[in-house]
Amino acid sequence: MDVHVDGKRIEVEPGTTALEAARAAGSYVPTLCFDDRLAPFGACRVCMVGVEGAPAPAASCTTPCTEDMHIDTTDETARRIAGATVELVMSELPAPPAEHTELAEVARFFDIDEPRWQGEQHERDLDERHPYLVMQHEMCISCGRCIRACDEIQGAFALTATGRGFEANITAGLDSGFANSTCVSCGACADTCPTDAITEHTLLEVAQSGVGEGEVA
Amino acid sequence: MATVSHNLTQILTGEEEAAPPTALDVLKQAVEERGVLTDEDRRRAAELSGLPEAAVYGVSSFYDDLQQPRGKRHVSVCTGTACWASDFGAHVDDARSRFGLELGQRSDDGEVSLGETVCLGFCHTAAAVRDGGLVDAGPGSVERAVIGSDREAPEPEAGSMLDEPVLTTTGTYAGLHRALASGDAEALLAEVKAANVRGRGGAGFPAGLKWEFARKASGADKAIVVNGDEGDPGSYIDKYLMEQQPELLIEGMALAGFAVGARRGFVFVRSEYPRSMPILREAVEAARRDGHLGENIDGSGFSFDIDVAEGAGSYVVGEETALLNSLMGLRGTVNARPPFPAERGWHGKPTVVNNVETLCNIPYIATHGAEPYAGLSPDGTPGTKLICLNDRFQRPGVYEVRFGTPMEEICNEVGGGLVDEREIKAVQIGGPLGGILPVTRLEARFDFDDLAEEGCMVGHGSILAFDDRTDIRALARHLLAFGAHESCGKCFPCRIGLQRGLEMVERPGEIDRDRLEVLLETLELGSLCAHGGGMPAPIRSLIAHFPDELGVSA
Repeated sequence: MDVHVDGKRIEVEPGTTALEAARAAGSYVPTLCFDDRLAPFGACRVCMVGVEGAPAPAASCTTPCTEDMHIDTTDETARRIAGATVELVMSELPAPPAEHTELAEVARFFDIDEPRWQGEQHERDLDERHPYLVMQHEMCISCGRCIRACDEIQGAFALTATGRGFEANITAGLDSGFANSTCVSCGACADTCPTDAITEHTLLEVAQSGVGEGEVA
Repeated sequence: MATVSHNLTQILTGEEEAAPPTALDVLKQAVEERGVLTDEDRRRAAELSGLPEAAVYGVSSFYDDLQQPRGKRHVSVCTGTACWASDFGAHVDDARSRFGLELGQRSDDGEVSLGETVCLGFCHTAAAVRDGGLVDAGPGSVERAVIGSDREAPEPEAGSMLDEPVLTTTGTYAGLHRALASGDAEALLAEVKAANVRGRGGAGFPAGLKWEFARKASGADKAIVVNGDEGDPGSYIDKYLMEQQPELLIEGMALAGFAVGARRGFVFVRSEYPRSMPILREAVEAARRDGHLGENIDGSGFSFDIDVAEGAGSYVVGEETALLNSLMGLRGTVNARPPFPAERGWHGKPTVVNNVETLCNIPYIATHGAEPYAGLSPDGTPGTKLICLNDRFQRPGVYEVRFGTPMEEICNEVGGGLVDEREIKAVQIGGPLGGILPVTRLEARFDFDDLAEEGCMVGHGSILAFDDRTDIRALARHLLAFGAHESCGKCFPCRIGLQRGLEMVERPGEIDRDRLEVLLETLELGSLCAHGGGMPAPIRSLIAHFPDELGVSA
């Protein structure tokens, strides 16, 4: 079928999502909970786009294309909501995300530096029980990518979402750490994490000891 | 079905007969029996349900009913909006001081624990207190709970403004047997579509269309799931129907099954209504005995049977995809749609999820047809609607009214005005996601379109009066505290935004109107479901009608 992205007509297979169509057309749509190796989840609401004829912007990752659909990735309302959402996300973290993370990249796209929201932030909670997989719970934004990577890529089912509302987070096994779970230490979770809430020990140590890329180079 | 992951739901979906119990069932039972949850309980839940251990941990951290430790006696005070509107939370403070416990705390000797429940459905006689399986309500309920002499609260008055009630009358199963005798499921579906039955659970989606999607969906095994998770604080309509008119509901379910081609039904009842599940189970048993349910009903070739399941304390589970997750024993979080349940719902099967009252309308249509149904409300949406009034009214209770009845008539004639010679300041209609109508706008008619013009909605049909003592800023705080507590935590705008909204109104001083507007828009347009999407509605009403009392900047 034919769809139009930012005025450009492209042909897509039935079942293609608006996000896939936008990317195929070469348009940039920011995302946080999306990973093209995983099924779309629809949680972060950052991939909002305008759809002609629709009453409100749509989350492009979970919106299937329809014949002759007109997608506007620069829709003003969609951008405003997505930007406000990213600012909310930044406000729940006790520290800004590391420069190289996807979240930092998306925040730069929306020009968000210091979030204007004051209020409760995640409490620092470092889990270093595993030899090299480290969880920094305070950096978790509940995008579910680690859980889905564990389930969908590795089939290890070692991770879960916990709590609800603002208290939502992640954990391994029976909140027993990676080592006491069905984790097979594949690192898929750390690989997909957009905030370094899960990372590999050595890298974290490097970051914490202040050894930057420049010095290594 | 990306609730947690495709693979996780596959584990469950693969089970043709979803061997009971679910993980949630096992966990609930452990808390009820011993007041605590151990890793041993979680491992056993994993083993019996087939869920991975981590997923079971996730379930155990989600639901209010699984929060523990609990004492030998577990007492919960109602923190719903009707109880709040009655004494602005004085009963909660009273319980904390008399028990000497904070909410969520257990006494050192393990004898008693104190918790909160958002709406026990005794809004006609606040304040409500639950002690184990017993709900006491009305003046003195906290005192009685403290000394252990609590008594069963009186059930609400019920009545109809129609000469021949449709919803406040005992069901006869005549519509079901008539439909089965005709043998024409397509004709029944066409009649329900023609009747334009709008869903009574909040969204107002036409039931006939939902049925048609499910009928056309591929797959021989389909399900009818009743949303009896009436979590809207201030609403006790579905409670009334499930407990007082279960025959109407059972008949409506069987008719839905016949029209759609489903042979099994589930009623998902909220656990905050301890009487509903046993009453429904008894009514289902009676219906089987009397030949209204079971194999080959009336020799028609149509078979249908019903299971009754109970929730575990979560408002968002009233959203249909979250409800199906909960019914399968998973975390009650919302899934993005499509796929819609009509295509892929309970264990991946085409599933109709209908509200209790919606289905209670069907027997009338099956018996009398779409035209008389439309005639019930000559100036409004077809059919009738149950409303319920909180205890600020002189005559609180459940009433059947015609669509289009002026709000003024509902408040002053049906409800008889307020008690204690108080004046109405405003009414919230349809639940916590419904707008708030100030007393100056009571000429508005009670119907979908009319209320939408006022920034309000029919919603669940509750009409909750706030009297002239009500502090508007405190009301905003009450509503947003509920919203933040009940967010399922999946989509970012709702998960973080409702917390930030609560903080904005909690912080002393003027509220920055521009910031609040940004937040409300982000919630409305960005949220995944109606919880985050709907919470701004009452706040917008307060901004529009009570800006000074709310304390927003100009």
